[in-house]
Amino acid sequence: MPKGMFVDTSICTGCKACQVACKEWNGLPHEPGHFRFDPVEKRPIAVNFTGNSYDNTGALSATDWRHVRFIEQFSEDRSRARWLFSSDSCKHCNDAGCLNACPTGAIVRTDLGNVFIQQDVCIGCKYCIPSCPFGVISLSEGTGTVHKCTLCNDRIHNGLGTACAKVCPTGSISFGDVADLKAAADRRLAHLKRQGHSDAEIYGYKEAGGLNVFYLFLDRPQVYGQPEAVVVPQKRLPVSSAATVAGALALGAAALVSFRERGSGPEEGGEAKK
Amino acid sequence: MNPETHIPGWEWYYVAMYFFIGGVSAGAYFIGALAEMFGGERHREISRTGSYIAFPLILLTPPLLIADLGRPERFWHLLVNAKSGFPYINFQSPLSVGSWALLLFGAMTFLSILDTLVADGRLRSAPFARAYSRIPRKWYAVVGSIAGFFVAGYTGVILNVTARPFWAATDPLVGALFIASGASTGAAAIYLVMSWRKKLTDPGLPGFERFDRLSKYIELVLAVGMVVLAGRYAAPLMRGFIGVMFWGGTVLLGILIPLAAGWYIPRAAGGRMPLAGLATVMALLVLLGGALLRISLVQAGQVQ
Repeated sequence: MPKGMFVDTSICTGCKACQVACKEWNGLPHEPGHFRFDPVEKRPIAVNFTGNSYDNTGALSATDWRHVRFIEQFSEDRSRARWLFSSDSCKHCNDAGCLNACPTGAIVRTDLGNVFIQQDVCIGCKYCIPSCPFGVISLSEGTGTVHKCTLCNDRIHNGLGTACAKVCPTGSISFGDVADLKAAADRRLAHLKRQGHSDAEIYGYKEAGGLNVFYLFLDRPQVYGQPEAVVVPQKRLPVSSAATVAGALALGAAALVSFRERGSGPEEGGEAKK
Repeated sequence: MNPETHIPGWEWYYVAMYFFIGGVSAGAYFIGALAEMFGGERHREISRTGSYIAFPLILLTPPLLIADLGRPERFWHLLVNAKSGFPYINFQSPLSVGSWALLLFGAMTFLSILDTLVADGRLRSAPFARAYSRIPRKWYAVVGSIAGFFVAGYTGVILNVTARPFWAATDPLVGALFIASGASTGAAAIYLVMSWRKKLTDPGLPGFERFDRLSKYIELVLAVGMVVLAGRYAAPLMRGFIGVMFWGGTVLLGILIPLAAGWYIPRAAGGRMPLAGLATVMALLVLLGGALLRISLVQAGQVQ
């Protein structure tokens, strides 16, 4: 029975308790600062600190497994405004690009459907990082291995929910069986539609084979930084391989016409001169 | 395509250099093997040179790959499952299959160089010769060539089968492009070594020249086709230093100028002059272009 989370962004208040709970339960350190010399300020400035928003991490990383995104929408004359929040994490895809790409078997799926990185197996080849269509997985400079949300693997295998869902004060993040969560999500969506939120939609039913962590958005997924046409990279592997084999065959054919016996002898010199 | 996908942070001096050196090694090997297979004894010198190039170059590549790992001491997890202790392969991951192909290619180039050393009288007998001497040279040349094409091409598939916009948008042409580049840089390496060893009187050279020209045409068509296919996602390749490397280095210096200069065998000197003038410069330009192709494509996918 796959476990997952339903993130109802319509009732998220952007309190970031989930970010804190995630850090605490998983013992995650603060994000290391990356400094670059700023020619205007004439001193090194941390380039990965946002400083322009309540969004304090900007993205998911090896030490930030949850990221509350703040989206400010103003009309042209600023008479109308909307502030959207969405708490993002690993989606634990049923067709997971990172798991498919892993050359060592370090990334596995557990009996509860969550995608888990075995830290003692990962070699830090980094191939899973660009293979995730959502930009979730990242390398830790400290351990030399990749890290991401585990769906609180230790908690859920001991009958608890995820730390972020446990702490969420509005019920925006709920943990449970994916089938039950989907039923709740559909009810909530129907309710919002009745209230006039015509743009509301569920994100994650069909993407990447279905996401075990899925969302209710009040606007297009792109507004929330989520890709709208998700292609799990390995879906393209057969065509990519076939084109490469075709390239090899073309080079082989070039070798055949160039090196074969016919065309040898005196006429060869003539051919080569043109 | 999602611009928020993360970049792997592969260092160009490890990963792109591996792509390049592996390509030269594989190209030199399959050119030599195919020349002898299709052209017979006439091309023995090319095949001999190819095997002298392939093995030392492929020996250089594992350290580059291992150095880029976050946990270099665990590199063996690529071949052996760390939990079960059994050999491990993941057919969905070009990186996993490629590790095995690299091992197979290394073994075949090793057999070939031993064979060549014995044939040239530099080794009296190859170690363990009895174990494989009954296998005709053609057999491991065939297996080695297939592995060679794989080693030259799978690095392009690695890039294409990701979610990074530039790499995904150039799918599925980079694998074939890297094979064509492996062929032209492999030919340049063979030329340089033959020139250095004063073997340019080889009767197989006109065929070699034709193959080199064809491989450059294929490379040019694929390089331009890749940019057209990528459309607006090719933007990182169209500007800045990466653009200079690709258009100036790879396309102009590495393909167009050597093609325009024509075949670079110094005929006037009867082929006896070692590393003569313009010809050598052209071969070096081809190698530079091949290196810049790998660097520019690896970096273009990692522009944030």
